[in-house]
Amino acid sequence: MGDRMSLIPEETRALVGQPLGEAAAVEIHPADAERFAYAAGDTNPIYFDDAAARAAGYRGRVVPPGFLVWAFEAPRPLETLRKDGLPRASGQPIRLHAKRVLYGGEDWDYLAPIHPGDTITAETRLASLEEKAGSSGPFVLSTVETTYTNQHGEAVAVVRAKRIAR
Amino acid sequence: MSEERFLDDVSPGDELPPLVKNASRAQLFQFSAATFNPHRIHYDREYAKVEGHEDILVHGPLQGAWMHQYVRDWAGPQGRVLSLGFQNRGRGFPERDLTFRGRVHAVEGDVVTLELEEVDDTGAVLMPAHARVRLPQRP
Repeated sequence: MGDRMSLIPEETRALVGQPLGEAAAVEIHPADAERFAYAAGDTNPIYFDDAAARAAGYRGRVVPPGFLVWAFEAPRPLETLRKDGLPRASGQPIRLHAKRVLYGGEDWDYLAPIHPGDTITAETRLASLEEKAGSSGPFVLSTVETTYTNQHGEAVAVVRAKRIAR
Repeated sequence: MSEERFLDDVSPGDELPPLVKNASRAQLFQFSAATFNPHRIHYDREYAKVEGHEDILVHGPLQGAWMHQYVRDWAGPQGRVLSLGFQNRGRGFPERDLTFRGRVHAVEGDVVTLELEEVDDTGAVLMPAHARVRLPQRP
C-alpha cells in the first residue's frame, strides 16, 4: 500500500518469503526427547519403548513432535540473558513499528515419524506479514514457517508459528 | 497406552472425553528446563507480577503439547495425528484445573476433523484448536 502509517517497514516487507537465517541441523538425543515428554506429563510408551512403538506401527520409538522446536536451542552463556531471563535476540530480527509481541499459537503438519538418533534439519522462512485492524488498534500477524527434514531428505513436520505485534 | 479407536465407531458430533491437567510449579520448572527456557514469568512469581501477571504462567507450548497428547491419546495407538493448530488466547496458571475437550466435526474418508479447546476453571477458553486425525478401520 505504501501507507506511511504502516507498522511494517519496507525493508521488513521485502523479507516475506525469504529464509530467516541459515538452515541448521541437529541430532535428536533420546534422553532430551524423554525429558520433554516427561516434563509435559506425557508417558505414552511410544516415546519410551521400542516394542510398544512397533506394536503401534512405528519402526521404533518416536519423538514427541513438539520437541523439535527445542532440539534447536543452542547452548548459550549467561551473559546473553536479559533481565526478563530471555536471551537477547540472535539472528535476523523481524523489525516492525510495534512495542509488544505476543505468542499467537502454532499450526503443525505432522508428515512422518521422528525417531531418536535422527538428524533433523530446520529451514525457517518468513511466510507472511498481515497488517490488521483490531479493536485495540492496528496489529501485525506474522507467520514464521519452519520445515523439519530428516537425514533421508524426508520432510517430517512443518510448523507455522504466529505472533501478534502491536 | 491409550485404547484403539476405529473409524467405524466415530460420527460427527461425538464428544471426546475431557482431559484435565493441573500443573504443579515443579512441572513448570521441569518444562522450562527441558526446553532450555529461562523466561522468568514461568518460575519467578514476583517477576511475573512485573509483567502484569498475577502468578507464574503455564508455557504456551506446554499447553500445545497437552493438546497434542489429548488428540493422540484419543486417536489410539494405530491412529495418526495429521495436523494440529492451536491459538494461545488466555493465560494459564499452575495449581488450577485446565480442561481439554472437543468433538468430532467431520469424517471424510479415513480422516476425522476435530474441534477442540482448552478452558480454565472459570470457563474461559485459553486455547481453541483443531486437528485432523487418520483412524484405522475395524479389522
